[in-house]
Amino acid sequence: MNKVKKMVSTSELDPGFKSDVLTHPDARGLNACFSCGACSAGCPIHEVFPDYSPKKLAKMVRLGMKKEVLSSPYIWYCATCRNCVEHCPQNVKFFDILNVLKNMAAKEGYAPAAWIEQTKHVTETGIVFAKEDSWAKKREALSLRPLKKPGEKIRGIIKETGIGKIKPRVNSK
Amino acid sequence: MSKYALFLGCTTPVKVPQYELASRWVCKYFGIELIDVEEFTCCGINQVNLSIEAGLLMAAMNLALAEAKGLDILTLCAACTGALAEAIEKLKDETTRNSVNEKLREVDLEYKGKIKVRHISRVLYEDVGIEKIKREIKKDLSSLRVAPHYGCHYLRPKSAFGGFEEPDNPRTLHELILATGARPVEYETLNLCCGGKVFPVSGDLSRALVQKKLDNLADKEIDAMALQCQTCYLMYSDQQKEVNQKYDKKYNLPVILYPQLLGLALGADPVKNLGLNLHSISPEKIISKVV
Repeated sequence: MNKVKKMVSTSELDPGFKSDVLTHPDARGLNACFSCGACSAGCPIHEVFPDYSPKKLAKMVRLGMKKEVLSSPYIWYCATCRNCVEHCPQNVKFFDILNVLKNMAAKEGYAPAAWIEQTKHVTETGIVFAKEDSWAKKREALSLRPLKKPGEKIRGIIKETGIGKIKPRVNSK
Repeated sequence: MSKYALFLGCTTPVKVPQYELASRWVCKYFGIELIDVEEFTCCGINQVNLSIEAGLLMAAMNLALAEAKGLDILTLCAACTGALAEAIEKLKDETTRNSVNEKLREVDLEYKGKIKVRHISRVLYEDVGIEKIKREIKKDLSSLRVAPHYGCHYLRPKSAFGGFEEPDNPRTLHELILATGARPVEYETLNLCCGGKVFPVSGDLSRALVQKKLDNLADKEIDAMALQCQTCYLMYSDQQKEVNQKYDKKYNLPVILYPQLLGLALGADPVKNLGLNLHSISPEKIISKVV
């Protein structure tokens, strides 16, 4: 159980937050959530770190706690296993809602640097890692074909999406 | 027999090339032709964190590249499998497909929706088949006790895999292990996630998940874990040392990829064909039990 119970002041809530989230088709299931907690019960991260709770996050969105949700480091703690989606009796798809929240948080400058860096690497190497000299040697030793530089297409695609312009969260990992 | 575009993903070719080596060897053995597509990139799964649309567009680009060559995709990574299969599902919606294609046209591509994505394990299970695999086995692996680990994205979203597996009670990897002659071991945390996708944000959280599974396996008298995803591999193998330090444990459990296990049973050279010398936890114990 969470030890700290914080009072929620209605004046700090953003009544439009839930509607903003619901405009994304992936988040439509939120309306059907009745806080049964099946999502949290099957969540491996919740089990090792109870402060991370899908059920609680879903409730915070429904209450309009925009700033608390979008600035929370916890929304980035999902391991992407999707147990929450498979186990939900209401077909809420919390995993997909969380991605919508992460996208909104990223636009507001809360994305962890790790994800921003990966995007940068994809533009340069085609994969999520920065180029290392050891790769070629390792592959050559196994007689595996050399890796080619990615073509122009991926650069065009990344540019098209605009994600290259997202700035990372300050003081975070 | 069958022909696929080989989708290597990000991690396998540069961090776990032995998985690629063993997969190519096993596919060649069964006459599965693998075509390399130069312009394949990251599948887009992690970009979903920043933009769902960007992730979908990257997946669509890769699908369109294979489609243009008239090929289905064979994946090695569970996450790429899930991301690409989910994209195929999403792109069945005409509005979504049209808006994605508008952007793909900028790079001279079009997604038509005629492609399948299959993980190598599923190709072995469906295209080759358990009976054929059994007939080809040349070595005796019957003294090996192996813990399967499926990988979350190999199973979920369930809707993207057409009922191939029951995510809460998966069986195909058990059967594939059994087909090699080795014995798959049942354990309680079978479905526990490796934590690989939270690793870039929190190493501690991901290691907490790794520790739980290693702890569960500690008293099961197993010789190895057999996996079908390089990210799960890196978590259970390379992070094992870190987990030992952090949790004051002495786990020393070899971890191998399924094509390596199958390769051993088919008589492949452990080093030359399967790269078993490249593992951070020596699989010597496994190799010595292959007779």
